[in-house]
Amino acid sequence: MRIGARGVTRRFGALTANDSVDFSAFAGTIHAIVGGNGAGKSTLMRILQGMDRPDSGTVIVNDQPVTLSGADAAFGLGIGMVHQEFMLVPGLTLLENLVLAHEPVKAFGVVDKAAAMQAARKLEKETGVHLDWSMRVDDAPVHVRQILEILRLLHRGADVLILDEPTAVLAPAQIRDLMALLKRLRDEGRTILFISHKLDEVMAVSDDITVMRSGRIIRSMAAAATSKAELAELMIGETLLDIVAHKSEVGETVLKAEKISVVDADQVERLKGISLSVAKGEIVAIAGVAGNGQEELTSALTGLSRLRKGRVELCSVDVTREGIAARRAAGLAYLSPDRAAEGLCLTASIVENAIAGHHRRKEFLSAGFLKLGRIRHHVDALLDSYSVKRAASSLPVGRLSGGNQQRVAIARELDGDPACLIACQPTRGVDIHGIAFIHKCLLEYRDRGGAVLLISEELDEIITLADRILVIYNGEICGELARGSDVEKIGGLMLGGVR
Amino acid sequence: MIDNVIHAALVMTTPVLLAAMGGLINRIGGIVNIGLDSMMLAGALVAFIVASNNGSWPLALAAAGLSGGLVALLMTLTITRLEAKEIIVGLGFNILVAGLVRFFLKTAYDTSGTLNLPDISRLPRIDIAFIADIPVIGAVFSGHDVLTWFAWIMVPLTALFLARTRPGLRLRAAGAAPAATQALGLNPLTIRDASSVFAGFMSGLAGAYLSIGVVGIFSEGITAGRGFIALAAFYFGAGRPGLTSVGALLFGFFDALQIRLQGRGVPAELVQTLPYAMVIVVLTVISLAARKNRGVRS
Amino acid sequence: MITILSASIGRMRSGGTWLSSVVKTLAPLVLALLLGAVILAVAGHDPFEVYRLLVAESFGSAKRVAATFAASTPLIFTGIATALAFRAGAFNVGVEGCVNVGGLAAAFVGFTFVSLSGPVLLPAAVLAAVIAGALWMLVPALLKSRLNVDEVVTTLMLNFIAVSLTAWLVNGPLLAPGSANSATPIVADAARLPKLMRGSSLNAGFVIALGLVVLYWLWDRWTALGYETRIAGLNARFASASGMNVPGLLFRMMLLSGAIGGLAGGVHALGNVFRYVSGFSPGYGFVGIAVALLGRGNAWGILLAALLFGALSTSGATIQLFSDVPIEIVNILQGLIMIFAVVRFSNIWKVRRT
Repeated sequence: MRIGARGVTRRFGALTANDSVDFSAFAGTIHAIVGGNGAGKSTLMRILQGMDRPDSGTVIVNDQPVTLSGADAAFGLGIGMVHQEFMLVPGLTLLENLVLAHEPVKAFGVVDKAAAMQAARKLEKETGVHLDWSMRVDDAPVHVRQILEILRLLHRGADVLILDEPTAVLAPAQIRDLMALLKRLRDEGRTILFISHKLDEVMAVSDDITVMRSGRIIRSMAAAATSKAELAELMIGETLLDIVAHKSEVGETVLKAEKISVVDADQVERLKGISLSVAKGEIVAIAGVAGNGQEELTSALTGLSRLRKGRVELCSVDVTREGIAARRAAGLAYLSPDRAAEGLCLTASIVENAIAGHHRRKEFLSAGFLKLGRIRHHVDALLDSYSVKRAASSLPVGRLSGGNQQRVAIARELDGDPACLIACQPTRGVDIHGIAFIHKCLLEYRDRGGAVLLISEELDEIITLADRILVIYNGEICGELARGSDVEKIGGLMLGGVR
Repeated sequence: MIDNVIHAALVMTTPVLLAAMGGLINRIGGIVNIGLDSMMLAGALVAFIVASNNGSWPLALAAAGLSGGLVALLMTLTITRLEAKEIIVGLGFNILVAGLVRFFLKTAYDTSGTLNLPDISRLPRIDIAFIADIPVIGAVFSGHDVLTWFAWIMVPLTALFLARTRPGLRLRAAGAAPAATQALGLNPLTIRDASSVFAGFMSGLAGAYLSIGVVGIFSEGITAGRGFIALAAFYFGAGRPGLTSVGALLFGFFDALQIRLQGRGVPAELVQTLPYAMVIVVLTVISLAARKNRGVRS
Repeated sequence: MITILSASIGRMRSGGTWLSSVVKTLAPLVLALLLGAVILAVAGHDPFEVYRLLVAESFGSAKRVAATFAASTPLIFTGIATALAFRAGAFNVGVEGCVNVGGLAAAFVGFTFVSLSGPVLLPAAVLAAVIAGALWMLVPALLKSRLNVDEVVTTLMLNFIAVSLTAWLVNGPLLAPGSANSATPIVADAARLPKLMRGSSLNAGFVIALGLVVLYWLWDRWTALGYETRIAGLNARFASASGMNVPGLLFRMMLLSGAIGGLAGGVHALGNVFRYVSGFSPGYGFVGIAVALLGRGNAWGILLAALLFGALSTSGATIQLFSDVPIEIVNILQGLIMIFAVVRFSNIWKVRRT
């Protein structure tokens, strides 16, 4: 065994990210690690790479138990990792990035460019890829940056390469190239571990596959001995939550999007003409693996970013050209997926957070002055009805637990009964009691006649709450399912179209 | 006439260029050094005292560079280790050092404002035979002191340093992507500190040029805000040594020009605003260009 | 970086224990006084004696208190001007420039429209200062809010432009006839702010400053605009997602900051100098940054910090008469306080332990 783990357990507070994990990867193989969000894949990889240490259990390298004191120590044993956020320096050329921190030098500390170039050519020969080494990293497309990261690991002598969702940012042709490169490196005797959500590529390239769920290894097997359908089943597991009975009547359409397209800064189309509608009294869920266009859809619907094409209607009014302020005024509420950076202002007080956006209501404002007494009264009553545990409402909201923070956010968004709520990852970082409470809030809001667009990566949550499910994949809605649909069918769509 | 203007412009350029090269390196390392003026002032005073006591200009230069470096070291440590905002710390150091210098003048020399010391060892001028008498070329190349030569030699050296050498590469990395630099096992904070000390050293030399190069007298206002002109120069140069030197030369030329234009009805004060106005224009243009590149999204 | 700063300014408002914010406010002051004492001792002075003298010369008699109030007047304005911009998340270091253009504008109105009566002329002169200060911030405010151009550099550069531009005006077009020293003519008596105390330079400007402190307090604590500004400064993304117009807030607050900076200059010109002279402001705008930081953006904190700096400068000026302690000890203390006001003290502890 080239690299592995024996009984590795890692806890973060109440959460057990890795629960007595046994894992083995052999030299000269490509080993895929698959699993849903929060399955514990990244934690395991960080432990194998020395960036994190297990609470118990050991890392095994070359059949020997080792203690890795850090990433450098892992590197000394030939283990390197490509992170999801690239560790490249903008403004430097590809070649400079390749040799940075291990530059060959001539006299006077001058970097020996010829020697660096020679090293680069040698890498090119070994891997069969060709790069324009004089290009600056900022100008390089994302797949080139990724290859550069891999080459840098090789340059520094790594023969165990850990890749964290390497294909998430790549186009299909680039994925094929990357896969070819990985196979080639494998054939030269290197060990490759890669994390992925996409079962097609996992099946296409890997020799071994390990499925993780809830911090445990569910099964490790040879790729030849399994199928996409089986993998999807193993990843998703059985849903244990009760499905809440659907009560309310569906009314008129509140939120409507027609063929909306969004392009990113690199002119890549991230949303490819999505249409959807949400009516009073229903929860419509967007199911999908992270990075398939959910963020772009959210900012397009809330008005935080501009559309390239398409049209957004709110309560039968065209709001395509309006920003978030006007859309909120028209009845939209938005529960942000990023609580710390966008959903709340952690350094401001609980009151200041709970009133944001409502503070200019007539009851709270006279002649530009805030009626602080009335605001405090209102907020205290509101937060009490959401059972927010707090010592005083004047404390910074950042002092609250994650679950209570989210209650403040949801209380604010549902305050004043908006026509429509876009709820993104509403239970992210919330414990089990908090999750149940937030679900209850969403259901009650729906039963009062609210329209909810629920965007979540938690399949369980979607199955529990949704009246209709839209599956998003690669910037498109690839399927619509009714309530009570087969879990595996949803999972299959999410993972790239296993039907 | 033109020879005089050229010569005067080069004289005015030298201190700005020295400090701007230091500030440029500092900025590429990730710190905007607003305290250059304080380091210049410290260098000017120390050089002046050493030049009088020891009568040796090389020693005076070394002392000036070291004292500027010491001020910079204190400044950079508060920024990198105590996480203080560089702008405030820079402004604070300008106020602090100016106060310390005047306090010291009164305490040690019982004088306020200016200091006159005997036997100042001035920077020697390098006259180049034959060339000296050629118009224009003579003014450009002859009759300048060692620091002027050093300042101009530093321009290509700085460019080479940044583009070609290992420390230059690491400096750029530490400034542009500290997290990535750290992930590769380098310490970006230490690299930044080193760049600050270099900026202090260069500013100290710039100060020495003012006190023992140009006039042979020290006054509390000797820098006349040249630390900020240097700041303007490296913002004008947008991180490039060559362009920064053009900025410094331009500002030196304005400086020389305004003295000459005073008698001719062109207001010197308006010429003085040009370096600062140019920086605002340059930043605006850079931002507009970046916006255009990004496309419509804002 | 700016968020760190504005966060530290804003924290007062939203909790943090009362005690810890007092300690955090006093720590820079105490450290600066300690280091100042070392410098004094090295120079052969008795630090305790010097500090005792400083206190006596600032607060020892009604006259000295009046002098302290007079000296702190411009600093209250510049402190609030700076704090206002910081609140919005704009790092305005250009209040110094506004002081100069505001001072000149007020003086200009004051010596030009001499036929007007006091109740018209004085407000007109003050208004001119306010408008001049706001206009002076127009370019950096536009660049910051529309193009996201770094306001630190633009405002800093504009300081030097203001100083040179006003120097040109008072050396040429606006030079007092028969005067050789870069100054405008004296303003009409009707344009002068009334004195509050015989034999002292304390004038109605101090009352205006106190009024502004109250207004700032009201704005900060009670108005929707103050609330929105604070939230936008603390977390611009959150503010935007909540429907607030962050670029608009930035723009307006930078202009307002400039207006108050201009007011500082106007009051100084109409209450103290009675004209505009080159070198009119001994760095009021820069000391205002220290005032805003030491006062942690809080109205009463700013008032106290301005009084402290005012006391330092007025007592520093007279202490020279009674002892051989150079007045520069005041600048040294100012610089030290400014630096220590932004230092993260917890890190000193960390460094020591390792």
